[in-house]
Amino acid sequence: MKKFSVRSALALGIFALMSSTALAQGVQPSGVLKIAVGADPETFDPHFNDLPTGNTVDLHVLEGLFRLDAENNVVKELATDYSFSDDGMTFTVKIKKGKTFSNGDPLDAKAVAASFMRLLNPEVGSIYRGLYSSIKEVTAPDDETVVFHLGERNGHILLLLASTNATIVNVTALEKMGAEYSRKPVGSGPYMVDSIVGGERYRLVPNPRYEGDFPAKLEAIEFVVVPEDGARMALLETGEVDIVERVPPEALQTIDALDEASVMKPPSMFSINMEIVLKGPMKDPRVREALNLAVDREGMIEGILGGLGTPSVTMPGPGTQNELRVTFVPIPFDPARAKELLAQAGYAPGQLSLTMVCPTGRYIKDAQVCQALQASFQAIGINAQARIVDRGTWTQIVSQPPAQRDDDMAMLGRATAGMDYTLYRLFRTGVSANTTGYSNPEVDDLLTRGRAETDPEKQKEIYGQIQKRIWEDRPFVFLWYQTQAIGVADRVKGLGVQPNETMHFDKVTLQ
Amino acid sequence: MFALRRLAAAIPTLFIVSLLVFWFVDLIPGDPARIQAGPMATTEEVEVIRERMGLNRPAPERYARFLEGIVDPSVAVSLRTGRPIAVEIGERLPNTLIVAIGGLIVGLLLGTLGGVVCALRQGTFVDTLVTVLTLAGISMPIYWLGLLCIWLFAVNLGWLPAAGAATPAHFVLPILAVATRPAAMFSRLVTASLLEVMGKDYLDTARSKGLSEFQVLWRHALRNSLIAAVSVAGVQFGAMLGGSVITETVFGIPGIGRLLVDAVSRADYPVIQYAILMFAFFFVVINLVTDLLTQWLDPRTRAA
Repeated sequence: MKKFSVRSALALGIFALMSSTALAQGVQPSGVLKIAVGADPETFDPHFNDLPTGNTVDLHVLEGLFRLDAENNVVKELATDYSFSDDGMTFTVKIKKGKTFSNGDPLDAKAVAASFMRLLNPEVGSIYRGLYSSIKEVTAPDDETVVFHLGERNGHILLLLASTNATIVNVTALEKMGAEYSRKPVGSGPYMVDSIVGGERYRLVPNPRYEGDFPAKLEAIEFVVVPEDGARMALLETGEVDIVERVPPEALQTIDALDEASVMKPPSMFSINMEIVLKGPMKDPRVREALNLAVDREGMIEGILGGLGTPSVTMPGPGTQNELRVTFVPIPFDPARAKELLAQAGYAPGQLSLTMVCPTGRYIKDAQVCQALQASFQAIGINAQARIVDRGTWTQIVSQPPAQRDDDMAMLGRATAGMDYTLYRLFRTGVSANTTGYSNPEVDDLLTRGRAETDPEKQKEIYGQIQKRIWEDRPFVFLWYQTQAIGVADRVKGLGVQPNETMHFDKVTLQ
Repeated sequence: MFALRRLAAAIPTLFIVSLLVFWFVDLIPGDPARIQAGPMATTEEVEVIRERMGLNRPAPERYARFLEGIVDPSVAVSLRTGRPIAVEIGERLPNTLIVAIGGLIVGLLLGTLGGVVCALRQGTFVDTLVTVLTLAGISMPIYWLGLLCIWLFAVNLGWLPAAGAATPAHFVLPILAVATRPAAMFSRLVTASLLEVMGKDYLDTARSKGLSEFQVLWRHALRNSLIAAVSVAGVQFGAMLGGSVITETVFGIPGIGRLLVDAVSRADYPVIQYAILMFAFFFVVINLVTDLLTQWLDPRTRAA
C-alpha cells in the first residue's frame, strides 16, 4: 500500500512538472550548467569588474550596443545602425525600440546615455575611464538615437562599444541599490543573477523580459568559487560541475583521461613578456637581441607550461583584432649568437648584471618561468638575478616611472581588446603604462594617426608598421601567448570561449 | 564580576591592537588604487581612484574613520566592493566558526576516545596504532590532508562533495581535516594525564566504594585531564582561526580567512584592518573563556 502511494505521488509530481513547463510558451530552457571558477569576481558592475568570470556574467546579464562573439568579431546587440560624422568627431547609433530592463524600467536612448555618462564620470572613478577617454559626452536626442561626442578622432569606437565594459547598466536601479547593484545588476540580458553568496557561489536564471538574438537556452547557470586547483579539478572528476576553468599544467593529463570530460584549449590573447627598462646596458639593441635569443621558448612551454602557450610572433596576442594583426618570424633559440652579440656589445662573460622582477600566481607558472629565464641568461654569461615578489610589491615596482626603476625588466601579461589601446598605452612616449620608457617619434606619429583613422585598410597598414617597429626594436624579451585550459564535461555542447577567457553560453546545450 | 572586569581590561589591549593594525596595514606594499586601476592605467586615472577611496586623507583622519567604523558599521566599506564590511564579515564568519568549532568538538571527542584507549590498553597493538595516528595527525599539514580527504572521500569513494559550502555535507570533510590536529593533541594529553592519575590513591578509594572502572575513569580521572585540555583547546581554537585561510582555500568555503587573504592581495585596507581586529577580539574572548572554564573546573585556581 505504501509503495503504491509513493509511486503515484511521484508520478503525479512529474506530470505536474511537465504540464507546468508545457504551459509556458516557446522553446523551454532546460538543464542546469555548473561551473567551477578559480577566483571570486567580487563585483559584476561592468565599470569596475576586471576578471574574466565577471565578464562572463556581464555578457549574459547585460546588453551592449554591440558585443563580441567567441571569435572576437563585433556583432550588433542593441544597435540597429550606426555612422560617423564627416569630421569623425561624432558617432551616432540607432537602437532597438521598446526594450526594457529585467525590472521593467525602459531601456531607451536616455538610459543608454546615462549608463555611459556614469562610466565617464570622474566621481564614480570607473577603472575604465581611461579606455573610453576619447568620448567626451553621450546624449540622446530621441528615444532611439544615441550620440557619442568625441574629444578626439577614434576609429576604433565599435570595438570599445562591443566590450563588456560598455554594457548598459540601469542607472536608476544603481542609485537605489547602491553597492548591492554590483552583486545583482539589473540588466536587459538573457539571464539575471538569481542568487549570490559572496566568495562562494552565484546563480543565473533566464530573464523573462529578454527580447533579443541570444535567448537563454539553460534553466540555470551555477558558478562555484574554488581557488585551490586540486579541489577545483576534483569537482569535475566527481561530476559535481560540468566546467572547470584554469586547468593547471599538471592536471591536463588527468582531466583528459577522464571518461566523461576533456580539456578545451582556446587561444588566449594574453601576451606574456619581460618588459625591459630601457636604460643603461639595456639601451643597446645588441644586448636586447642577445636576451631574446637566449630564451628557449618551445622548451619552456613544453617543460614548464605543459604545452599551454605559443611562442610570440608579434607583441599583441591572437584575438587582438586579428584583421589588424601581423605576425613575424618566431625568435630562434640561439645562445651561441647571443654570446657573440654580447661580446660585440663589449661585455665579457660575467660582466653584465641584471635584475628581473616577477609576480607569483599571476600568470601560468610565472615564478618557475622566471627562474628558468634567470638560468637562460646566466647560460650566456649574464649575471642575472630573479626577484620573485608578491602582487602588491610587483604592482608597486612596475608602476614606477622607468627612470626611477632599480630593476632591468619585469614580467607582465597584456591583454586588451584593441590594437589601439594596447599599443598606445604601452609604446607612446611618456604614457603611464609605458613601463619600458620606449620613445620613438615615428611610432608616436603612427599611433596618433592610427587612433584617428576610420578606414580599415589604412588602419591595417598603420598598425602593421607599428607592430613591425616594435617587434624589431625588441623593447621586450618576447615570450609567448598563454593558451587557456578549460575542463569541459562531454555532455556540454556548444561552449564558446573568447580569447580573453569570457565564456559564451548562447549556444550551449546539455545532453 | 570577574568576567566583566576581564572584558573591561581587554579594551586597552584591543585599542593598542587597532593602532598597530592600522599602522602596519599602511606598510603593506601595493597601492589599492593602483591595483584596482590595473596595469594599463595612467597616473592621473590612479589619482582619481585614490581620491575616491579616501587614501589621500591624513593618517589621523583615516584612523578616526577606522574607529568610527567600529561604532557605526555603515561607515566602514570595502574599497573593492563598496559594501559595508560588517556585512561582508557577517556573511562569512559563520562558515569559519562552523569549521573551527566543529573541528574542535570532533577533535575533542576523537582525541578523548583515543587517549582513553591508549591509557587503558597501554603497551598493546591498539596503543601503538593510536600513537602512530596521533603523530601523523600532528605532523600532517592541513593543505595536504585536505586534498587527501577530497581525493579519498569525494573523488574515489564518492561519499561526500569535493568542495564548496552549499550544504551541511560540504562541511564534513573540512571539519574532519581540521579536527586531526586537535584530536592528536588531545589524545596525547588525555593519555598522559590519565596515566598520571590512574595510580593515585583517591581512585582506589573510589574503586573500593564499588564504582566500576568506567565510572572511576569518568568521574575522577578524566575530570582532572579536562583542565589541561581546556588550555590546549583555547590555543588550538586560536590556531584554527588563524589557519582557517588554508582550509577555506582548499575546500572552497567563503570564510574570514579567505576574505582576509583576498583583501591583502588587493590591498583592501579597511577589510584587512577590521578582519584582524576581529581576530584579536576573538583571541581575547577565547582567553577569557579558557580562564573561566579552568577556574570552574579547578577550584584551586580561583582568586581568593
